[in-house]
Amino acid sequence: MTAGSDRIPLVSLQGVTKRFPGVVALADVSLDVREGELHSVCGENGAGKSTLMKVLCGVITDYEGDLVLRGSPVRFERTRDAEAAGVGIIHQELNLVGELSAAANIFLGRELRNSLGLLDDRAMESAAAALLTELECHIHPRQPVAELRVGDQQLVEIAKALSLETEILVMDEPTSALTTAEVERLFRVIGRLRGAGVTILYISHKMDEIFHLADRITVLRDGRLVDTLERRQTNPREVTHLMVGREIEATHLDEPRQPGDVVLSVDRLSLPWPGHAREWRLQDISLKLRAGEILGVAGLMGAGRTELLECLFGCSAERPVGGIFLDGREVRLFHPSEAMEAGIALLTEDRKRLGLFDRMTVKENLTMCVLGKTTVMGFVHSGRENGFAVDSVNRLQIKTRGIDAPVTSLSGGNQQKMIIGRWLLTKPRVLLLDDPTRGVDVGAKAELYRLMDKLCREGLGIILTSSELPELLTVCDRILVLSEGRLTAEFSGDEATEEKIMEAATFGPGVGRSS
Amino acid sequence: MSLFGRSPLTANEMGLLGAIVLVLVLTTLLDGNHNYWNEPWLSAEDIARQTALLGIFSLGAAVVIIAGGIDLSSGSMIAFSGTICATIMVLLAPDAMQNAEPLGLPIIVLAIVGTLVVGFLVGSLHAWLITVVGLPPFIATLASLVGLRSLGRVVCENVTEVQFGGKSSQIQIYDEQFRYLATSVWIPVVVFVVLTVCVWLLLGRTVVGRHIYALGGNEDAARLSGIRTGRAKWLAYCIGTMTATIAGILFIGDQSVADPQTLGRGYELNAIAAAVVGGCSLQGGIGTAPGTALGALFLRVVIDGVAKIIKTGADVYEGLIVGLVVVVAVAFSKFRERR
Repeated sequence: MTAGSDRIPLVSLQGVTKRFPGVVALADVSLDVREGELHSVCGENGAGKSTLMKVLCGVITDYEGDLVLRGSPVRFERTRDAEAAGVGIIHQELNLVGELSAAANIFLGRELRNSLGLLDDRAMESAAAALLTELECHIHPRQPVAELRVGDQQLVEIAKALSLETEILVMDEPTSALTTAEVERLFRVIGRLRGAGVTILYISHKMDEIFHLADRITVLRDGRLVDTLERRQTNPREVTHLMVGREIEATHLDEPRQPGDVVLSVDRLSLPWPGHAREWRLQDISLKLRAGEILGVAGLMGAGRTELLECLFGCSAERPVGGIFLDGREVRLFHPSEAMEAGIALLTEDRKRLGLFDRMTVKENLTMCVLGKTTVMGFVHSGRENGFAVDSVNRLQIKTRGIDAPVTSLSGGNQQKMIIGRWLLTKPRVLLLDDPTRGVDVGAKAELYRLMDKLCREGLGIILTSSELPELLTVCDRILVLSEGRLTAEFSGDEATEEKIMEAATFGPGVGRSS
Repeated sequence: MSLFGRSPLTANEMGLLGAIVLVLVLTTLLDGNHNYWNEPWLSAEDIARQTALLGIFSLGAAVVIIAGGIDLSSGSMIAFSGTICATIMVLLAPDAMQNAEPLGLPIIVLAIVGTLVVGFLVGSLHAWLITVVGLPPFIATLASLVGLRSLGRVVCENVTEVQFGGKSSQIQIYDEQFRYLATSVWIPVVVFVVLTVCVWLLLGRTVVGRHIYALGGNEDAARLSGIRTGRAKWLAYCIGTMTATIAGILFIGDQSVADPQTLGRGYELNAIAAAVVGGCSLQGGIGTAPGTALGALFLRVVIDGVAKIIKTGADVYEGLIVGLVVVVAVAFSKFRERR
């Protein structure tokens, strides 16, 4: 921690440049990592964080510049080389074989064998158990990792890295899928690793974590290293400023919106959770949404945000109980097609997996829900279909080479706009947006906010969930807070603050309601 | 813009067309007996008939593959439907069937319609097993692959015992009118061409066709876009079995016997091969009817060419050729994708 800057750095990147076709992912990045420090690397999506880490871990091998380890240049040809040199990585998307046990995963690729050359499961399991206990991970080493919680899976990865005698551990946004308790445990584990002398490169864009953990902070922007700062000599505001390249101005939305009549109301909605101790994923949720209003739904991961939207769209895993009313009339939704007909649209959380038809063109993606309206004598009429697609592209200003371009040629933000466009063609009354700005860059985010505002002014009722509180505070007229499947608070846009929302979101069940 | 919205043939299909011409030229040049040169019409008729018989049920396999599934049952479905068709004729006119007398058109029509209904029912069974029971398509249609052939034999033996007084594992078909279905070149070819155009229109120009592509490309996204994926699957699997049913009817006419044990054995893989060579992706969401038709034509042309050049029965090398063609065609398209 107090390692002097005059000592030879443990890792040194010197003028590293990596070009992909058409993009410079890393431009002349030079970075020193001192022995024993926790060095945080932050930057927006696409800033080059992951590329930098892939260079360090031997995933990317064709880069310009040098990688110097303990004063001597190295060139990793594959990840095994990096592992052998003591560099390990915990990927954001964990790299485990779900069907195999925790012990088997820890020793994957270098299994212990007995004198007959057969797998020595007992030795591996006892070694794994020792490692896991050290990490406060109370699982059985024989348990298949697919059955484990994400937080425990991550610790299995860390155990794997430890068993490799890793000296430099890269952690890529390790808290993105963890509960508060798991985050705290992870931080204790990180403390213990540092006590054991492990150098940690911590990739994150969460300021509170970075300022809690890091000794030094490196900011990347557009593939360039902006600055490396001592944590003591900076503050979150400065780092954010460096990340974005400008102060984040709250996207200013002109005059306040005028909500109209109640378009959607939910009365004591509950969603069962068979086989789980909590029994209910959602319990007694009541809410009202007005036309021309954006209603935010806040909550930690697992609070039931997505499940609530799924109930309203008729695609929940179990059948919900309670009433859903559209324009005062009760609707029963058993399939998304019924929700669509009733005038409800859902933009799913996972665009790639649940929203995009990646083998189709922009046009085919846009017209998917309204193809039935284009037919003449049972056949799709190209002219009408093109008309729908062109209208959407113009209305939402989707940047595309044309309506026949493959959908994969669009940027994330434009894909998101395109899927909103798909739903707007169905002329919905209620638009449900499940974390619509996830994986979308800052500029596109602002554009999506303006689009939501515009749609709202045209009389659409919008329910928005987000994992980012500032986003909800920026765009919502009202914010509901969910905690473990219950509604714990409701704030108007003016009175809501991040602190108030977090407080309500971390309420356990049974705690009194505030409003 | 062409009649069908996009360019009628993809690059892959143009390549396939070129390859077909190349194989035909090579066969003409290398064949010592110069069959193609001396008897062009006879050779063309033969290839056309064989292609039609393969292509008809390859179209069904392609639709199922495009919908993101797989149908392993078509070979057994051919055997089963052929047996059912012959069985219906035996039940309706036992004496005529036994004494090789003409059956008359009404009985033939009834037999064909009845067989198509059976094909529809088997397709519905597949769809039910997959969408309601939740079996993987591989398992549901594997059960049919094994089961239908055996069931065909059970039906055949019981019906022959009752109607003819002696168990038989096959039923002879003498009726000239019925056999004309397959012995004439033009009926199978016309059926094939009409089916190709129908499937082309269905997939390319109708809402449910687009839904089938969407289902194969991303089933979750399709459901969440309000598409009734169960219905689209039902249609796809019914097309799969009903094309095999049509092929089964033509095959028993061609062979003048319905033998559930040998008819169409292993043909399900030929159909999948034709679809894949024709550009369908086994991951679903990609493929066309003309591509599949060309895939079937290419397979038959290569099989026929090798038989002509080596001068043995086509069936000796058939499996080997199909295997090689699939590997080469798919490797080639992967190679082109990567560039």
